[in-house]
Amino acid sequence: MKILIIEDEKALANSIATYLGNDNYVCELAPSFDVALEKTSLYDYACIILDITLPDGNGLEILKHLKKQNKTDGVLIISAKNSLDDKVQGLRTGADDYLSKPFHLPELAARVEAIIRRKSFSGQNIIEFDEISVDLDAKQVSVNNKNIDLTRKEYDLLIYFMANKNKVISKGAIAEHLWGDNMDIADNYDFIYAHIKNLRKKLLQADCPDYIQSVYGMGYKFGIPK
Amino acid sequence: MKLFTKYSRINLLITVAIFILASIAYAFLLRYVMIEFVNDNLKIEQREIETFVSRYNKLPEIIHVQEQEVSYAPVAGPMPKHKFTSIRLWEPDEKKLELFRQITFTVQVSGQWYLAKVAISMEDMGDMIRLILVITIVTILLILMMTALINRVVLKHLWKPFYETLATINNFQLGNKNKIQLSQTNIDEFDLMNKTLDESLNKAENDYLLLKEFTANASHELQTPLAIVRSKMDILIQDENLSESQSKAAQSAYDAIQRMAKLNQSLLLLAKIENKQFEDVAIINLKEKIKTKLDDFFELWQSKHLTIKKDLSDCEIQMNPLLIEIMLNNLLSNATKHNIQDGQISITLTAKKLIIANTNDAPELDEKQLFTRFYKNSVTSDNGLGLCIAKQICDLNGFVLSYHYQNYQHTFSIDF
Repeated sequence: MKILIIEDEKALANSIATYLGNDNYVCELAPSFDVALEKTSLYDYACIILDITLPDGNGLEILKHLKKQNKTDGVLIISAKNSLDDKVQGLRTGADDYLSKPFHLPELAARVEAIIRRKSFSGQNIIEFDEISVDLDAKQVSVNNKNIDLTRKEYDLLIYFMANKNKVISKGAIAEHLWGDNMDIADNYDFIYAHIKNLRKKLLQADCPDYIQSVYGMGYKFGIPK
Repeated sequence: MKLFTKYSRINLLITVAIFILASIAYAFLLRYVMIEFVNDNLKIEQREIETFVSRYNKLPEIIHVQEQEVSYAPVAGPMPKHKFTSIRLWEPDEKKLELFRQITFTVQVSGQWYLAKVAISMEDMGDMIRLILVITIVTILLILMMTALINRVVLKHLWKPFYETLATINNFQLGNKNKIQLSQTNIDEFDLMNKTLDESLNKAENDYLLLKEFTANASHELQTPLAIVRSKMDILIQDENLSESQSKAAQSAYDAIQRMAKLNQSLLLLAKIENKQFEDVAIINLKEKIKTKLDDFFELWQSKHLTIKKDLSDCEIQMNPLLIEIMLNNLLSNATKHNIQDGQISITLTAKKLIIANTNDAPELDEKQLFTRFYKNSVTSDNGLGLCIAKQICDLNGFVLSYHYQNYQHTFSIDF
């Protein structure tokens, strides 16, 4: 699947491409309005990450072009403005989601994955990872076809982990994902630990391998243990 | 003291003093003139007596006239000059002592010297002087009263533009965007004052807007570099070859960026609140809203072993949904961050008031500084903007946010 990153800041675009790029995704970069317009006209993308403020044009115009051509590419707007107007206007013009800078890359990955999932699976909304299967419509998690009960936060955490497989996710990113960025709690992430611990315990009880690893107190990694 | 009162007081004091002095001087002058007049009359009497003596060589007969006394007495020798005196004599008609002016002189009749005394009553003149003085004083009092009254009315009218200007300035608020309108008067001084005020206030307003714009722009421009640094950190921590010490360094850097992002976000939020970019309002069920917040904060409080006391009544307010969210977050975060281990947070909601109190062993905080930007009283990672934002949100909605302290309880209350 192809992802187009329309972002004039090269360093940021590279970070996104590095983080998202894996076996499933191929990332292409479009550093300017013109390049972006050309690429979006020529090719189809599973998801387009779109910066609204480009030096040679407004990103919303690209979105309008897409809609005019009846393209169904998923669009995630990233903007430094963090203004409600931009968000409302972007979503009204047909964007699928909106993320304001500075964002956490795991958050971006989770949003992109959600968009692609919504666009590509028309039928059942299920994500799987080895023996774990999550029915997103029913919000039900099962391991080896056996349902397990998770709290709301544990469920959100699992989905977040599954969108960032084999990636180290910082505690800050986890906190912001679960509690939103309006909560001013930057001084202490201890309370995350309880949720991670419980999720891990429930997965282990359902005969999962120990997928969740702590990384030097920096954060957590979800993936097949070595 | 009002300028007018002060002016009136000085004015009255000086006027009264001048009038009293003038009255005294007037009374003396009047008395002097009267005495001179009586003296002249007495001299005429003297001349008449002397003329009579030289013509008939005998003293004139004493005719009893009212308010006039004449008497002769033989003396040894002549007096060099006539003499005037003021004396009191018994007036049989009035049956009391009355003031008389008397001339004493000597006259020679057939070689014999006689001392002649002629006295004229001055009682009527005293009456006149008194009457004149009374009229004068009454007039003065009348004039004083009228002046005070006229001053009051006229000055009030004259100073009206001044008070209007004062009222306008009182309502003036920086960043309010309402241009102040100072009315034109036809008094040069006031026009000059209004013009000067107009200019300096508009300059202040412009400077303020520029500063605000600068803050907002600076914050905006910081968002992109912040986004780059944060994304690089997210990439960096993926490296499996990081040593423990490298990881720790990365973690510190990551936390610092987190704080900076938060700070920047707060500054942008403040700018937006000041620019009135949150105009959409909705009716908020505050009780429900607080209940959701309690769920959000639950884990946080648990990890700090905080006890929560809540007493929530129904309360509906009208405000922007995002702002109430931010305000509650900030106040609850504040009560959480500045709490002690095993401390307590109490949340009370009534229809008109929300009270959030937390325990802390810190002494009372300075309420004046508490709601200003970057106020910090302890070493925390807090950026010192949370309460400032809460205050701004309250101000925007016409709520009153206040702080109280009692027995290690720090209480923040909002009156809707």
